[in-house]
Amino acid sequence: MVPNALSIRGLTKRYDDTRADRRRMLRNHAAAPSTGGFLAVEDFDLEIEAGSFFGLLGPNGAGKTTIISAVCNLIRVTAGEIDVFGEPHDALDARRIVGLAEQDVNLDRFLDVEETLLFHGGYFGMSRAEARRRAGEMMDVFDLRAKAGVRAPKLSGGMRRRLLLARALMHEPRLVILDEPTAGVDFELRLELWRYIRRLHDEGATILLTTHYLEEADELCEEIALIRGGHLIARDSADGLRSSYDADSLADAYVRAMGSG
Amino acid sequence: MSALVARRRGLLALAAREADRVLKLWSQTIAAPVLASFLFIVVFGLSLGGRIRGIGGVEYEVFIVPGLIAMAMAQAAYSNNSSSVFQARADRYINDVLSAPMRPWEVNLGLAFGGVVRALAIGGALLVLAITVTDVPVRQPLVLALAVAILLVLFASLGVVVGVYAETWDQAGFVNNIVILPLSFLGGVFYSVELLPSPWQEISHVNPIFFLINAIRYGFLGTSDVPVAVALGVTAALALACVAWSATIFRSGRRLKA
Repeated sequence: MVPNALSIRGLTKRYDDTRADRRRMLRNHAAAPSTGGFLAVEDFDLEIEAGSFFGLLGPNGAGKTTIISAVCNLIRVTAGEIDVFGEPHDALDARRIVGLAEQDVNLDRFLDVEETLLFHGGYFGMSRAEARRRAGEMMDVFDLRAKAGVRAPKLSGGMRRRLLLARALMHEPRLVILDEPTAGVDFELRLELWRYIRRLHDEGATILLTTHYLEEADELCEEIALIRGGHLIARDSADGLRSSYDADSLADAYVRAMGSG
Repeated sequence: MSALVARRRGLLALAAREADRVLKLWSQTIAAPVLASFLFIVVFGLSLGGRIRGIGGVEYEVFIVPGLIAMAMAQAAYSNNSSSVFQARADRYINDVLSAPMRPWEVNLGLAFGGVVRALAIGGALLVLAITVTDVPVRQPLVLALAVAILLVLFASLGVVVGVYAETWDQAGFVNNIVILPLSFLGGVFYSVELLPSPWQEISHVNPIFFLINAIRYGFLGTSDVPVAVALGVTAALALACVAWSATIFRSGRRLKA
């Protein structure tokens, strides 16, 4: 039996009342508390089947980025267990098969496009030859070849977004986590990214997508989870959510779900 | 060997990235500090040195070389790592490393490597320049190698620690400007503390950089204000403390991860 791509059990994250944690909370759009820390996610469970295209929707501060950061070992979890394809998420084998494209563009300012991909390949254990081959492939797929020698800060916004995605996919992860991958990109690039993400899914990758564009979730995701205040409030296909909330569109279903309870 | 390389590819890539940053910014990371320290040797040693009688039987322009090299290397190892780690945190590209399949000690070591490369490049260049304009000897090469190794471990680790703790560029630069630089000047770069009156001579003995400079000076000149074993021991103890501090940060993730 193939284990679930992602299995989260009882995840709780309380940010401490330290400057570093307050900064992280603001970045994750959570309301920064004055004292006593902040409970971003509490006793959160989620199972995502291997090979699925899964959407995580919720308002700013719902806990989406906190959940993703926990899966990718970018925060210290307060409680709970996370497995990636049956391995604890902090095990080296689990890390090797997760690819993350973060919501903010966080590219190394000292590296050009090709170096960004090559070094990332190295961090994830790829040999130099393997990384070179894959970097060439990624530059072709994301139309970055002409910018191979250009450093990240000198790229246009769209190019940076492509590079971010190329970097996340560089080591051929089985679980691809895309945190608002199309935020702030123009319509054409969005369609292009959608095409590529679909292709990736067709090739067998499990995709976990967070987005504020409901039409994007509707268009791409086989299943959607709605979260609010660090809790799961609904989980179904887009049609299932429309039906459960007696709504004509996913947007209506979303508004009703967020307004309920 | 190839299996070992395969297992440590993450560490090797991170170390290469840190070295790459130093080399790309060579005019700022290597050339500028080499020039500044060389000017000290020229101005204080060659120009004014003729008016200052030698110290402990050593000509003044030779006497100041070990301390200047030690000071330049310490500052380079520290400031390189504090700024590189702080920048990676501020721009958040450190997440690419923190999410990678690397052990905490590998991330720690990889991030520290840039400071080692930069300090060795500066130290090597200064040594060559100093030998061409002064008659500085290397009387105890093994002691010198050991003292340099301890210096690198101490200041590369300290730089990583401060890079993790710093919240602003000012804080990242603070330790260099307010601690390392003054303590280096007061640690006997330009003079022997034996020439100081009491209580300044005694006070100098609580300055950790005094011991480092004396260990390096012993390697070059074969003379030191304190027994070389004490100088090496004190510096090594500080280096171990910094390594332990930095290892704790990376093992626990505190300060590095919310």
